[in-house]
Amino acid sequence: MDWTPPPGSGGATPGSRPGGQGGGEWQDLGDFSDFFASLFGQGTGRRARAGNGAGDGVRFSMPGHDVEAELPVRLEELMRGGRQRITLEGGRSLDVDIPVGIRDGTMLRLASQGGRGTNGGAPGDLFLHLRMIPHPRYRVAGDDLEMDLPLWPWQAVLGATVKIDTPDGAVNLKVPPGTQSEGRLRLRGRGLPRSDGSRGDLYAVVRIVVPKSPTPAEREAYESLMRGAAKPADRPAEE
Amino acid sequence: MMRTRSMTRVSTTIMVPPPHAQAYLSAEELADAAGIHRTTLLRLVHYGLVETAEPGGTVFAAAAAARLKRMLRLHADLDLDLTGAAIIVDLMERLERLETELAQFRGTR
Repeated sequence: MDWTPPPGSGGATPGSRPGGQGGGEWQDLGDFSDFFASLFGQGTGRRARAGNGAGDGVRFSMPGHDVEAELPVRLEELMRGGRQRITLEGGRSLDVDIPVGIRDGTMLRLASQGGRGTNGGAPGDLFLHLRMIPHPRYRVAGDDLEMDLPLWPWQAVLGATVKIDTPDGAVNLKVPPGTQSEGRLRLRGRGLPRSDGSRGDLYAVVRIVVPKSPTPAEREAYESLMRGAAKPADRPAEE
Repeated sequence: MMRTRSMTRVSTTIMVPPPHAQAYLSAEELADAAGIHRTTLLRLVHYGLVETAEPGGTVFAAAAAARLKRMLRLHADLDLDLTGAAIIVDLMERLERLETELAQFRGTR
C-alpha cells in the first residue's frame, strides 16, 4: 500500500485527507505529525491547538486531541482510592476520583477532558497513566504487598510475637519457631484491594539480623552456642 | 415544603462533580469513546486488534480506548489499514514503555 509521508518530514499529500477542500489549509497538520513527534521523541507541541477554523472555506469540525499525562500516585491512593487534584498543561486543574483496585501502570480515562474540538467537534479524552511512587516500606507484587521483617537470630529460632506496621495499622505477628531467612509470613487480606472488593495479602519477608558488635555477654552466649550446636553435614566445613 | 423548594432554587450553586475516571469500559462505552459502531468494535476484537481486559471477558481497560483511538486516527490521517495502524501503535507503546524504563533507570543511578 502507498505510504504517505508525514507532513513535517516533507511532502504532504493533501489529496489523501478527508474534507480536504479547505484550499490547502491543514489546520490539523500539527496533531497529524504528533504521532511522529511522539514516535521520534521530538516532543514538539503535543499541546492542543486551537484551530482557527477553515476561515472562508468549507467549515468542518474536528474532534479534540486525546491528551495523555502521567499521574504519580502513592501507595495510600492504591489502597483507598481518593480524590486527587491534578494540573494539566496550560494551567487547568481538575479533581480526579481515583477508583479502588487500580495498580501501577493502570490507565484512567476521563471522557471529554482532553483537547477542545474545533468548530463544534467533540472534545478529546484525557488519559492518565498511573505511576506508583515507590513506598519506603512496602513493595507491590501483583495484588500482594511485601515488607521486610528484621528478626534477631533467637527470635527466628525460638519464635516470637512481634508488632509490625501494616498499611492498615499495627498488628501482632506470630513468628513460628524455626523461621528461616527469606521466609515469607503471610498476613491474609492485608494487601492491595481488588475491584471486586477482595484484597491481596501482605507478606513479611524475614531477614535475620545478627548483632554487629556483640556485648561480652552476647559473645559468650554465641560461643557456648557454637560449642553446643549440632553441625549438619550440608554446611561448609570450618578450617 | 414549598418554601424550602423556592429557597433552594434561589440559592442553588452549581457544583461541578469531578469527571468520572474510568479504569474499565464496557463495549458500548468503548465504541462510543472511539466513535465507531459496536459491531465494528466486535469485529476488531474478533481480529485481535482490540483486546478485552481479560481473555474472553466483556470489559476493556481504559488503555484499550487510548490505543483504539490512536489506531483509528492513524487509519484516518495516514490512510493506513487498521492492521498497519495496530503495528504502529504497538511500536509506539513499546517505545513509550522503554522510555519510561530508561527514565527510571537513569533516575536511580
